[in-house]
Amino acid sequence: MSLFTFSAVTYRYPNQTQRPALHDFNLAIPGGEKIAVVGRNGSGKSTFFLHLNGLIKPRQGEVRFQGRPLDYSRKGLTALRQQVALVFQNPDDQLFSASVFQDISFGPLNLGMSDAEARERVLEAAALCDIEHLLEQPTHALSGGEKARVALAGVLAMHPDILAADELLASLDPWGRLKIREIFDVYHAQGKTILLITHDLGLIKHWATWVIVVHEGKAAFSGRADDLLGDEAIMNETGLVQIWRQAMQSC
Amino acid sequence: MHLIDQYAYSNALRRLHPGIKAGLALTIILLCLTLNEPAVGMVAALWMLGLAVGLARIPFRTFAGILLAEGTFLLLATIAVILSFSLHPSVLVGGWGIGVGPIWVSTSPASLYMGANLILRALGAASAMNFLSLTTPLVDLIDLLHRLHMPAIIIDLMTLMYRFIFVLLESLERMVRAQDSRLGFSGSYRRRMENTAWLATHLFIEAFLRSRNLQQALASRGYDGGDLRVLPIEYETDRRLLVLGLVGILSLVAVWWLV
Ligand SMILES: Nc1ncnc2c1ncn2[C@@H]1O[C@H](COP(=O)(O)OP(=O)(O)OP(=O)(O)O)[C@@H](O)[C@H]1O
Ligand SMILES: [Mg+2]
Repeated sequence: MSLFTFSAVTYRYPNQTQRPALHDFNLAIPGGEKIAVVGRNGSGKSTFFLHLNGLIKPRQGEVRFQGRPLDYSRKGLTALRQQVALVFQNPDDQLFSASVFQDISFGPLNLGMSDAEARERVLEAAALCDIEHLLEQPTHALSGGEKARVALAGVLAMHPDILAADELLASLDPWGRLKIREIFDVYHAQGKTILLITHDLGLIKHWATWVIVVHEGKAAFSGRADDLLGDEAIMNETGLVQIWRQAMQSC
Repeated sequence: MHLIDQYAYSNALRRLHPGIKAGLALTIILLCLTLNEPAVGMVAALWMLGLAVGLARIPFRTFAGILLAEGTFLLLATIAVILSFSLHPSVLVGGWGIGVGPIWVSTSPASLYMGANLILRALGAASAMNFLSLTTPLVDLIDLLHRLHMPAIIIDLMTLMYRFIFVLLESLERMVRAQDSRLGFSGSYRRRMENTAWLATHLFIEAFLRSRNLQQALASRGYDGGDLRVLPIEYETDRRLLVLGLVGILSLVAVWWLV
């Protein structure tokens, strides 16, 4: 059974005049995979992610989670968000407190934990993301990559089963990326699901166990990396073929 | 703002409980307001300067510089108290003065004393405020207000506003730089005004979009209305500030008593 199923989902932002951000979007997301989500700017990747957390509701079509339609009631959303965590494209959107320590404690406390448990979670997540030295720092004095790691710690502290990160690696240095990939691998080994929006096509080949291609508001492909690379029609239609050739040449 | 904020996060008393720092500052301010002696203000300012430089390791120049700026401002504000202006030379009785055209500008020992009293006591109170803001980050003060059971709505608003100041400041900086690098501010007056108007509009839109995104991000971390709950910060205690602060407070009372 798929973890998430999108059937004919259409979403148009209130002030959007051109084509909708997602249009007739059909997709089945398997559980327990390391999933790379790729696609051009404006293709609808971030919009697709917002649906995973019930932050926006399809205008048409349906999203199912573990076989059941998403429950958009307050209780249903709370239950969903305990399992699915989102790291936003821009960490400044996510960090609301000027104290790094307090910001990370926000999620665990929302899960109903005691102060002692939450503190433990904060320290654990900080150690995992290598930001223990930043706990005392004000959020606004951090660099972009440091903010991204704090944002990640803020959701890892909630121990989600499904982690969806929007271009998390983009602002990180090579060491930071390596670190985050290690964290992802640990999570994956625990049977959890990771979705990562990325523009780094190398990850398709060397990291991902599953690939989703979003193209012009549709899910153009969902499957194994080798199947994608062998599928000439899709590679041509989405323009991935040129990029892929170039990526392979430079290797 | 930036500078004060930097010291607040990096000074040697950073980890100290904000209750001690705020308590000390508030007591000094109250004493400066109630003990009606110029010497009280002067001693208070010296104490705060000493504690800020000696314990918190704020550079002398920084603290003194801020105090000087405030002093200048106060001096200008109290001119009306110190000097009196009149068309009759009779105001000179019991004082000193000069004639400027038909107007007599004069002062007297009493009004000089009153002016000094105002300036010094205000300066004493201001230095206590400076001490607090240079040694205590706003997050600690918000945390303190929370511990004092301030309503959650106020705490949350303060938290978000404080964070947003920096987020928007960063956006503004970015936009100004982007315009500047394309010579946006070196054209005609009209052109510069247009660019400034553009900045203001876009900053407003940005603030609006940011707040919507922030709301989504909070919701995704399990926030469903109500208070923004976070862990209280842990602090250290420092006997030195407690003892020295107490001595300072007593010395203010003693000065008032003796003079
Ligand atoms: N808040 C919004 N209001 C109106 N239109 C929006 C909004 N957010 C996104 N869009 C539009 O929806 C489409 C899909 O946007 P989305 O952010 O999902 O793309 P993306 O694939 O994440 O792009 P990128 O790689 O640049 O992050 C784009 O055409 C974009 O202009
Ligand atoms: Mg995006």
